[in-house]
Amino acid sequence: MRYELLDKPDFSMVKVTFDAPGETMVVESAAMVARSAAMTMETNMRGGIMAAAKRKLLGGESIFQNTFTAAAAGETLYFAPAPEGDVEVLELDGSYDLMMSSGAFLGGAQTVNLDTKWGGARGFFSGTGMFLLKADGQGPVFFSCYGGLHAVDVGPGGYICDTSHVVAFTSGLQYNVQKVGGLKSLFFSGEGLVCNFQGQGRLWISTRNPSSLANFVQPYRPVQRSN
Amino acid sequence: MPHFEIGYQPAHSLAKVTLQPNESVIAESGAMVGMSTNVNMQTQSKGGMMGGLKRMFGGESFFRNTFTAQNGPGEVLLAQALCGDMVVLEMTPNGYFIQNSAYIASSMDVNVETQTGGFKGFFSGAGVFVLKATSQQPGQVLIGAFGGIQELQCDGNMVIDTGHLVAWDATLSYKIGKSGAGWIASYLSGEGLVCDFTGQGRIWIQSRNPGEYGQAIGRMLPPRKA
Repeated sequence: MRYELLDKPDFSMVKVTFDAPGETMVVESAAMVARSAAMTMETNMRGGIMAAAKRKLLGGESIFQNTFTAAAAGETLYFAPAPEGDVEVLELDGSYDLMMSSGAFLGGAQTVNLDTKWGGARGFFSGTGMFLLKADGQGPVFFSCYGGLHAVDVGPGGYICDTSHVVAFTSGLQYNVQKVGGLKSLFFSGEGLVCNFQGQGRLWISTRNPSSLANFVQPYRPVQRSN
Repeated sequence: MPHFEIGYQPAHSLAKVTLQPNESVIAESGAMVGMSTNVNMQTQSKGGMMGGLKRMFGGESFFRNTFTAQNGPGEVLLAQALCGDMVVLEMTPNGYFIQNSAYIASSMDVNVETQTGGFKGFFSGAGVFVLKATSQQPGQVLIGAFGGIQELQCDGNMVIDTGHLVAWDATLSYKIGKSGAGWIASYLSGEGLVCDFTGQGRIWIQSRNPGEYGQAIGRMLPPRKA
């Protein structure tokens, strides 16, 4: 199985080419764009109903995921996220995990396991959600965001990221949610809360934030009259 | 001076500002996406209470944030809210006029003030309040656009739709007015208000108009409570 990322960075899409019959790829519900006709698609709740419900309710992912299985070598599958933005892929080798914020997971090999992980009560105060989605195992995992994906290699100094811009990070990193600046800044800086990452690993930050777009459009909605 | 590097152009541009020890950059409220842990952020209403009020009246935020690298070099990542490109303007003796929502950040020595454009600014639909950036020393201003950015050369006269204006050299004189012969013609043309430029200088325009975009999407959404 080979894959490439097309139309990066603004309208990224994944193209998978299967090398042998029986090879599979698991994709978030509704993310498929195109596929070879002979390929089989199976819709299932991976890990059973409890695991799927947990992923949906806690991890912000869809209950159902689609597993595509190649019938012959050379078959292709295309998939993409809903909003415009970038897609990244990480080839997991078992030595570390990938933590994703709500909605970031796009697809992966069947040998990649997904689990929701309690991000702690601090998650409640951050835009990342109360729970994170953890991917471990072996093989490629694809994740996406609205906007560009900016990777930061976090070293001994740590790194600060706006809570609503965290997309994913490797398991060598831990974070604390904190305010930035003084008390005045908490209310007036417009920066709100940040995640302070410490440890060693890679952090992916989105260069745009969908709620800013929603906030911009909001005043343009028609106004309902009172009766 | 801080070093600005822009990536992810044009749609999702991100500015990485590299600061030498004790160097600072001033940024619009809410623009910070990420930064080194040794960067200190301070929130101020620059120009005092009056400066803050004037800015707020101009559609700007009351407060701006100053980011300073402490105990070594540092970096700050800055982005605007909407999709679009960014450009760094090197300060010139004459300075620049900047459409208020285009301002993202500037180096310390640059003075950014809201112009009291009076009624012409207030009635210009796109909320065109104008900032003036000046500096006695070399410095930079980071501006962001909705859509792509084009640099035009004004050589005499030029007319720009106010919703597409980003910034211009302060060597140019400008006048905001209606685009057609009368108010009705102007309204029917869909062009609304335009800015008439005279003189020699550069004008930066954005390829999309945020107000038009908001209306195109907004009308498809369910009504909100008044």
